[in-house]
Amino acid sequence: MFARKGIRGNEQPAGWLFVAPALIILGLFMLLPILMALWVSLTRWNGQGSPFTGDVPFAGLGNYTRLFTDEGLARQDFMTSIRNNAYYVFLVVPIQTVLALGLALIVNNRLLKGKGFFRTAFYFPSVTSSVAISVVFLFMFANGGAINAILSVFGIQGPQWFSDPRGLLHLLFERLGVSPFLTDSGLFGLSWWDWLSGPSVAMCAIISLVVWTTSGTFMVMFLAALQNVPVQLEEAGRIDGANRWQLLRHVILPQLRPTTFLVITLGLIGTWQVFDQIYVMSQGNPAKTTLTPAFLSYRTAFRDFDYGSGAAISFVLFLIIVLLTLLQRRLTRERDS
Amino acid sequence: MIRTLASRFLGYAILIFFALVFLYPFVIQIANSFKTESNAADNPLSPIPSPVVTDSLVRIFEGTGFPTWLGNSVLVTVVVTIGRVLFASMAGYALSRLRFRGRKALFAGLLALMAVPPVVLLIPKFLVLNQLGMYNSYSGLIVPLLADATGIFVMKQFFDSVPVSVEEAARIDGAGAFRMFWSVVLPMAKPALITLTILSFTGSWNEFPHTLVSVQDPGLFTLPRGLADLVSGSLGAGTQYPLKLGAALLATIPVAIIFVIFQRYFVRDAAAGADKG
Amino acid sequence: MRSKLCGAALAAVLVVTSACGSGFDDNGSTTTQESTGPADLKIMIASSGDAETKAVTAAATAWASSSGNKATITPAQDIVQQLGQALAGSTPPDVFYVDAARFADYASVGALEPYAQGLDGVDAFLPNLRQSFTYEDKLYCVPKDTSTLALQINTDLWAKAGLTDADIPTTWEQLRSTAEKIKAKGVTPLAIGDTRDRIGAFLVQAGGYWVSADGKQATGDTPQNVEALTYVQGLLKDGLAKYPKAMDAGWAGEAFGKGKAAMAIEGNWIKGALKADFPAIKYTVKELPAGPKGKGTLSFTQCWGIAAKSKFKSQAVAFVQAMTGADQQLSFSKAFGVMPSRQDAQATYQQQNPDDAAFVAGAQYAQGPVNAPKMDSVLADLDAGLQGLQNGNPATVLQRFDKNAKTALGG
Repeated sequence: MFARKGIRGNEQPAGWLFVAPALIILGLFMLLPILMALWVSLTRWNGQGSPFTGDVPFAGLGNYTRLFTDEGLARQDFMTSIRNNAYYVFLVVPIQTVLALGLALIVNNRLLKGKGFFRTAFYFPSVTSSVAISVVFLFMFANGGAINAILSVFGIQGPQWFSDPRGLLHLLFERLGVSPFLTDSGLFGLSWWDWLSGPSVAMCAIISLVVWTTSGTFMVMFLAALQNVPVQLEEAGRIDGANRWQLLRHVILPQLRPTTFLVITLGLIGTWQVFDQIYVMSQGNPAKTTLTPAFLSYRTAFRDFDYGSGAAISFVLFLIIVLLTLLQRRLTRERDS
Repeated sequence: MIRTLASRFLGYAILIFFALVFLYPFVIQIANSFKTESNAADNPLSPIPSPVVTDSLVRIFEGTGFPTWLGNSVLVTVVVTIGRVLFASMAGYALSRLRFRGRKALFAGLLALMAVPPVVLLIPKFLVLNQLGMYNSYSGLIVPLLADATGIFVMKQFFDSVPVSVEEAARIDGAGAFRMFWSVVLPMAKPALITLTILSFTGSWNEFPHTLVSVQDPGLFTLPRGLADLVSGSLGAGTQYPLKLGAALLATIPVAIIFVIFQRYFVRDAAAGADKG
Repeated sequence: MRSKLCGAALAAVLVVTSACGSGFDDNGSTTTQESTGPADLKIMIASSGDAETKAVTAAATAWASSSGNKATITPAQDIVQQLGQALAGSTPPDVFYVDAARFADYASVGALEPYAQGLDGVDAFLPNLRQSFTYEDKLYCVPKDTSTLALQINTDLWAKAGLTDADIPTTWEQLRSTAEKIKAKGVTPLAIGDTRDRIGAFLVQAGGYWVSADGKQATGDTPQNVEALTYVQGLLKDGLAKYPKAMDAGWAGEAFGKGKAAMAIEGNWIKGALKADFPAIKYTVKELPAGPKGKGTLSFTQCWGIAAKSKFKSQAVAFVQAMTGADQQLSFSKAFGVMPSRQDAQATYQQQNPDDAAFVAGAQYAQGPVNAPKMDSVLADLDAGLQGLQNGNPATVLQRFDKNAKTALGG
């Protein structure tokens, strides 16, 4: 009689016991911190004493409005960081997606041997430490470094990568002989001309590093999906006389749509979080052109002792990423149903 | 026939080009670690150091905090990996198999936590470590990393995919929940445990942002933190590329070894990510 | 039901947290327990290089063994960040370097112990340096040393370019014409740091500066400052001067030491760094060339700050007094080239270091750093503008500084 009831009945305490360690740690170090930071983002805590006493000046939404509506350095820095990160996203996501897909298609080619080796080679960079890899790329992009040595073989004088704050679009305008325009009007404290700078030369070095490290992961995802494409489909297409391009366009790519979609959204979410590389390689320099919201929030809190503003930037970034995640989940659900 | 040959040649050409792009930076890294500073500056591309010198490696061990960082990294990685594997498999098992009130809500909460981007937790984590008096200590460095939502999710998915028959048999034997977990469920979950171990190992070995906000005493630095400090360099420290590249190389070796040995698991993890979304 | 349970779990977590929330010293700094007897002093320094780290560590060890205390020196890679975290974490080092430019930030939030107010023998320190560490009429800490900017010239490269002592520039025009001669030989003429702390010297030479003499007003956008920045921009554009990063160097001294530039504009610390890292280099130090309004340079100083939360304040003060004694300062001067901050050590210093005449002369007309709280992000923004000076517009950089500084200074 005891045993009968026990099979399901004694799982209640066991269940909670089993989840307890993970629950406590996640609660203490993920949930609670978020609540605490939410409070701090509403104050002007300067890093002295506890932020949870009555002495800390309450700022209300002041830290947030300073980022959007109040004219000043805080808004200018924040908008600059948003601009930089947006250009970074616009470049990294498409390039890494196309590169990953292309590599997967070639590696998957049944006529080629050595699939395992190439897969390993392309995937390896993504398991290494972001800090260690940043060191290698700092060396490669040094003015007298490997990249400029390669460029000079082709007769190109490479730029001074990490000290060049000029935006690519600005350079393009200059090349086309277009003088700066729309410098008097703007949005959120940055002139249209500044918004249209494009990623700086320094940012391009970081972009190439990130594309290089993440493409391998996404390639493996594409490879897995390619292996699930029914062979019959391909053969049927071939019998119908489709050439290779038509086969790719009308048979394989539609099959890969869910994976492509996933890779793009994971890319979007990940690229808004870039931090390690910025910290190690540029610290937001030169001329703030590699400043990103994540790094700005860190710097505002820990270097300028303005923890309230730093936390507020974190939450705005949080919001951006959560919106992207929700979008991804929603679209995934639509796809599944 | 000729077209096939040509396209095969082209395919190899592209693959070899990209293999060079993806691997040559590591070659450069290794080669330059053994160069003199002036040689590294003059011939950054050359894969052969001439002369071969080990000065930088000696200086890494004698002139920097590298031995301390290495020790801390090993400690953190071992403890965190054990903790993550244990806690995640326990929680994953409970969420998948045990019937208890609040289970569904917990799982929903877990999914929500998985969406929290780690970088926005920098300031929050610092605040909580401070409030708990754990800032700048080993416990602050280690404890927050002991559980991660993704690991629990991976384990839950795994248990969901395994038939319950084995456990039912054990349950009829009258084994308690914990004994059953330990001697029946865990041995069965070996593939998932290996995956999780690898994820935890690389994750904690490479962890950087957390160390940035949990400690500031150089005696508590792990490799990534020490390396980042070495690179940002104090005034007068100079560029010292061979030294920095060497230190980065040494920090990469353990992950590289694990990667080579457990390659198929790595590849499967990434592929599993494709199904997860 | 389920959400209730969830709420309960969350509440439990919160209770646990607040119960063991002991990390902060809620009552502020004044109640910190003082310990007497042997102290375990933690000292954080922002070292200018190995030479300084070694010298300070040796001096601290000597003090510790003779006084029966323990003293641990930690050289910080990024002292602002490390100190900021340590102060917020209530685990600050007992003694640490405080830069004059950052001093007001620390003093205004109550992180510093004003130990120097009424300290015995404090009058021996140079008055203008003491002023740099005074906040609201209270002297918080004593300056550890001082330094000024001057022009370093690589004598080998100089001779190679066919130049003699007569070519040593004393005016902006000469600096430019000499630089053109050096460039013609394929050598970068001048290495200059891309910050306000180097380029600011040109502003002083032109008769301007970032802020007014009392430090309360932003005076960026003036004809004098525009003239100075335009001159520097011209040097950069024509390749007559380069920022260190453009020469793969961390700072101008490194580029100079490697022989990548014939001249550099750095302070006293370059002596120690060159001796340690590039002992073979031959160079001479001259005063900076005069601008349209005469000679001008910048001075720098740091003080030995003591944390308001230190448990070993009396021992920390004893340590600071040992580090700032006249003899100790002179031996630091020898090790890493800074100038003593005490009046009673000046004569001996000049006697011992005839090569430093340019640095010493500069101290007579040097401009101190911007010293006001909440200015750091404004000054960082200014630096960002200066990094882009080569392709930027000097007036825009200065206007932007004025706008930001006005908000920060509250005027």
